[in-house]
Amino acid sequence: MTDIPSRVSQCFLNVFPDMRAADLPRATQSALPQWDSVAHATLLSAISEEFQIDLDDESFESLTSYLLIVDFVENRVVQA
Amino acid sequence: MEPLPSVESNRVVVSTEGTLTLGQALRLVQQRKAENRRRSIFLVCGFEPLHLETFLQGHFALRFPSEAVDVQTGLYGNLEPALEAAAASPAEAAAVVIEWSDLDPRLGLRSAGGWALSVQADILRSCQERLLRLLGGLKAVGDKMPVALVPPTLPLSLLGHTAGWQFSLAEAELQKQMATFLADAAQIGRVALLNSSSLARVSPEPLRLDALMELKAGFPYTVAHASAVGGLVVKLLFPPSPMKGLITDLDETLWSGIVGEVGAQNVSWSLAEHTAIHGLYQQMLGHLAEMGVLLAVATKNELAVVEEALQRDDLLLPRKSFFPVSANWGPKSDSIAEILRTWRIGADSVVFVDDSAMELDEVRTAFPAMTCLEFSGKRPAKSVELLEQLRDLFGKAGVDREDGLPQAIPQSSAFKAATGGSSRAEFIRGLHGRLVFDCRKDPANQRLLELINKTNQFNLNGTCLSESEWLKLFADQSALVVGVSYEDKFGPLGTIGVLSGRRVSDVLELTSWVLSCRAFSRQIEDHMLDHLFHQHGVGAIQLAFRPTPRNQPLQHYLVSLGLDLDRGKASLSREQFRTHIEDLPHQVRLLTS
Repeated sequence: MTDIPSRVSQCFLNVFPDMRAADLPRATQSALPQWDSVAHATLLSAISEEFQIDLDDESFESLTSYLLIVDFVENRVVQA
Repeated sequence: MEPLPSVESNRVVVSTEGTLTLGQALRLVQQRKAENRRRSIFLVCGFEPLHLETFLQGHFALRFPSEAVDVQTGLYGNLEPALEAAAASPAEAAAVVIEWSDLDPRLGLRSAGGWALSVQADILRSCQERLLRLLGGLKAVGDKMPVALVPPTLPLSLLGHTAGWQFSLAEAELQKQMATFLADAAQIGRVALLNSSSLARVSPEPLRLDALMELKAGFPYTVAHASAVGGLVVKLLFPPSPMKGLITDLDETLWSGIVGEVGAQNVSWSLAEHTAIHGLYQQMLGHLAEMGVLLAVATKNELAVVEEALQRDDLLLPRKSFFPVSANWGPKSDSIAEILRTWRIGADSVVFVDDSAMELDEVRTAFPAMTCLEFSGKRPAKSVELLEQLRDLFGKAGVDREDGLPQAIPQSSAFKAATGGSSRAEFIRGLHGRLVFDCRKDPANQRLLELINKTNQFNLNGTCLSESEWLKLFADQSALVVGVSYEDKFGPLGTIGVLSGRRVSDVLELTSWVLSCRAFSRQIEDHMLDHLFHQHGVGAIQLAFRPTPRNQPLQHYLVSLGLDLDRGKASLSREQFRTHIEDLPHQVRLLTS
């Protein structure tokens, strides 16, 4: 459970290699120009693969920031 | 299952060729970004390339540890222009990935055109026409570079009036069309087809489709399937060199029994004697010999008794296939060293097959580069795996008559017609497209603002508009905002384009122009410019063009109209437009307030 943020961070850094880890908690789709539709699909696929989580329509649309994704993954891992 | 590359912190350390995760592939691509030795592949696919592009680069990085590959891609939604672009590109190889929805969108999840019985005949006709054109395009690419062709990997799960377990006539007809297409494509020089059975081993069919990603992002593959396809495409485009020679043991390998004990007449390899697996192995060796593979024997036996057995009439390959035959009581590594000297080839091009783990180990120690494989006569499943492995190790991408293989089968009439050329304009007209230009100024239409701010590829300048800028545009009397929607026989695409700007005397200053990638390759962009010239009666359009990292499709289009973007010339006259555009294919309807 405790390593979820670091694993999410690794997924982010794989997709956005130019980002600094320290900036990740502030990362949102609206604030990050490189977080376009292609990057969004890649990021969520990487998260889904890393945590073996199936995404649904709603989460695909709503997971638009680093913090929302960490929160989402933590909830899903607890449920599992 | 092939082992995974080991990952240490943020570095991928490749221990062996294997399956890649998306995370690993992304890191490999990142690691190779600064690599100077770069190669180039053109990826032709009708869907968004997304992870497939990443996995092509990742698997290439596994295959070539000190090189990187750049992947060019075509436009979303249409294979033919992408094939044309590939043929005209400097890429050294092309990967062409076809799915059923590329032949007719009604076979995919993103079309609203339906697949009811009433349209199935039209679907079949449209697929046949599309395959014909693809064959022509494939020929043009195959003339220039090696091509890996991936036939549809996703199931045709919805088509058909039958229950899912029964093949419908429409499905059978489509498979027949595809089989003919593939047989024709296989005869184009330098086109290599992906073997669907090999793909099924690493990517089971039920685990291939990602419906969410297809509907949301236009990418239909699960991550694992994209990895499997990417890996096999790299193998097809950059195949490892085939092995040149095979050295085989005899007792319990080429035949069942110890020839020195039971005698030459009592070793066996037949179904009747329950030793047919050895007969299968003999047939595989005979097949390899016909392909030009060198065969030799290394056995711990007396030469005379070995020769007697090898001379038997019922041996399933000619005795002369083996040279040399080394039969003695010394270490097998000594025999193999002698065989390599005779052949004058290196150990890394040779496979050694024996039933004894000890012998295999002894040879492996002496020749670490040699591929040493165990023959398990008592476990037929393992033996069949071995035969499949031998096919992979010795298989050649192409065949020629000198190898003693049959000549190619005559090509189908479709192939001849396709390679003689086909009309893309006819295809677009056959879509029966209908465009609606909505010139009503409605600030509440947020879809238009969303399109301007989200579209990347066909975008005049990448400029995003805020809500207030958007509202200001509507308040300006001289400004125009036009939303464009489209539908054709495959169903509606909805609102797919926006034009906005203002008229200043005889010139229209175009400040925003976007077209969704779903609507590429249908001449809709021509219609949009025509609308400006025709409906607004201007003599020229001044385009507020600016290059962005993603708007190459728009740049290509402007260059095709004769605009010299390098010199900053982004003005298009009515005459210039007319010289490039002869005929517009779709019906147009205007909505005005």
